[in-house]
Amino acid sequence: MKQAAPRLIELVEECKSLAFDLNFSYAKEWKKQSPDRLLVGYLPIYVPRQIMHAANALPVGIMGVGDRKQIIKGDAYYQSYICHLPRGIIEMALDHNLDDFDGFLFPSICDCVRNLSGMFKLVHKGKFTRYFDYPQNFDEHIGGTFYRELLETIINDMHLLNGVNISIEALNRSISLYNKNRKLVETIYNIRQDYPWRLSATDVYHIIRAGMVINVEKHNEILEEVIRYIEEDYGEPMDNIRVIISGSFCEQPPIGLIKSIEMAGCYIIDDDFMLGSRWIQDDINGTTEDPLNELVISFLTKSTASSAIYDVGNPRSARLVQLVKRRNADGVIFCAASFCDPALLDRPELQKACDAEGIAHINFQFHENTGQFKVIKEQAGTFSDSIKLWV
Amino acid sequence: MIYTMGIDIGSNFIKLVLMEYSENSKIVDKHTEKIRKRNPTQVADEMVQLMLDKHGLKYENIAYLASTGEGDLVKRKRGHFYGMTTHSRGAHFFYPEARTVVDLGALYVRTIRINQDARVEDYKMTGQCASGSGQFLENISRYLGLSIDEVGEISLQSGNPEVSSGICAVLAETDVINMVSRGIKTPDIIKGIHLSIASRIIKLLGSLKAESPIVLTGGMALNKGMIQAIEETLKEGSKNFIIKAHPDSIYAGAIGAALWGGYRHYKLLEKQAVAI
Repeated sequence: MKQAAPRLIELVEECKSLAFDLNFSYAKEWKKQSPDRLLVGYLPIYVPRQIMHAANALPVGIMGVGDRKQIIKGDAYYQSYICHLPRGIIEMALDHNLDDFDGFLFPSICDCVRNLSGMFKLVHKGKFTRYFDYPQNFDEHIGGTFYRELLETIINDMHLLNGVNISIEALNRSISLYNKNRKLVETIYNIRQDYPWRLSATDVYHIIRAGMVINVEKHNEILEEVIRYIEEDYGEPMDNIRVIISGSFCEQPPIGLIKSIEMAGCYIIDDDFMLGSRWIQDDINGTTEDPLNELVISFLTKSTASSAIYDVGNPRSARLVQLVKRRNADGVIFCAASFCDPALLDRPELQKACDAEGIAHINFQFHENTGQFKVIKEQAGTFSDSIKLWV
Repeated sequence: MIYTMGIDIGSNFIKLVLMEYSENSKIVDKHTEKIRKRNPTQVADEMVQLMLDKHGLKYENIAYLASTGEGDLVKRKRGHFYGMTTHSRGAHFFYPEARTVVDLGALYVRTIRINQDARVEDYKMTGQCASGSGQFLENISRYLGLSIDEVGEISLQSGNPEVSSGICAVLAETDVINMVSRGIKTPDIIKGIHLSIASRIIKLLGSLKAESPIVLTGGMALNKGMIQAIEETLKEGSKNFIIKAHPDSIYAGAIGAALWGGYRHYKLLEKQAVAI
């Protein structure tokens, strides 16, 4: 049996250390290279990273502390019935992990993240802090105008700090680079759909998450190299079921949980872990005279299914069913963070849609610092057996 | 006929079976190895290789090698089945009329209600406390200077069992130390431990709404003292269950894995044929 190339293992290890570096050393080193470089931190789920890239800023995904930092101060900021993500992030801020950051964007996913943007202002973190409110009206003249003004505000925030005026060419170039990035990420998912044993779900997770904290040019190089290796045949297929994970788009599951699901006999062939990097479902036109408008239009018309988007007319339940069919999945694992209102409130509708289509599903909840996976492994294991033996 | 293999990685022992899978499947060979302080992955791999060599087979000749238990420690395999699924199938292989399975493992006891096809309908298991487990019994036997293999017979000699805590392994171990210092006879101590474990099992069976016959599987299933204690406790509660334990009950998980592996092999072939 042919084994994975040593270089691929090396690449995954590199991505692993980048993805979970809570000091963001790579980003801070990148900033030091030039005085007009900026670091703009953003929380899950989505921000258009192209505008930051074009403004000589590095968009840095702050995806939580996982199980790698003990929360002490963060617990004083949030009640016990609030999810774990914001308490970890405020802990990082108070521990000076984010001191070199110039600005922070807080996408509108829930009240807790909205409150976190206020807390960052109160503790004076960053030179600008913006609550990034997605438009929920998809009319170009209403939601589009609102969204464009929001992007222009952030562009102005950055301009005031480094004096960079974003040119049409620069924004078009950034759009093209991120188009390539999304295509490469999608290629990895497509290869895994047919050959999930070539790269584990945790490896994919590390590779994609690393892209949140490094520049897109470097991430594209890594992705291209990974694809070259996984296009070759190696490893041995296991008799596992194929599942889609739904509900982990904001607070991220611990790596042990992803590993446990796979060990229990489930190939994760699609997920919403790093949804922001796969948000726009097609290429954005990177050749026009008004690239900012292209970003606006793509958000209004090409956004992925998400709890952060008002979805009447194109319900995410139907889109989940479509994804299950497209990926030829055997079932769905609803895996949301405890107290994650957006994911947990959506779940009944999504489950109903799965039931109507005869799609098997199970559900459980986690914290980003969950350390015990026995029960989850048991659930996933019996789910896998029930599909393998009785469907 | 095809060959299948099932390997059950427990916390103390690794169990391996080679089977001829057909409508009348049969065990070709079986082997158990205590892990001791060795690397379980390496032990498992060596066991498989030795079994293959012994029968002049290659890995490619095995249609499906299935793991169960801590299956991620097995590197060379085709699939994995969860312990509850495999023990149920193993018990059904021994006694097709089985409707309840009690898996007496090293770290927990699990009671499983199954249907006529060995499909799991419901289960109840002990929590993280160790006092209902085989490991606990092994620890106690070690304190008393006994081998785990002899505790069953010794328990049968008891005339006046001294029941210990059925709730907590730590308390039970303290109880045992006190019993020794009070001069309680060894058979009475052992029987008391068996009764204590049995009472926990009976509670699980009650909440499971178990049906007869009950088949015992796992490492403790052949412990005669344990079986007697379960039967006595059931009688005390006026419950008429038939208890069965097969001589190969320690292999139930591995047998179940091998049998489900065979089933999956043909199912996958069918799927491929449909796809073509």
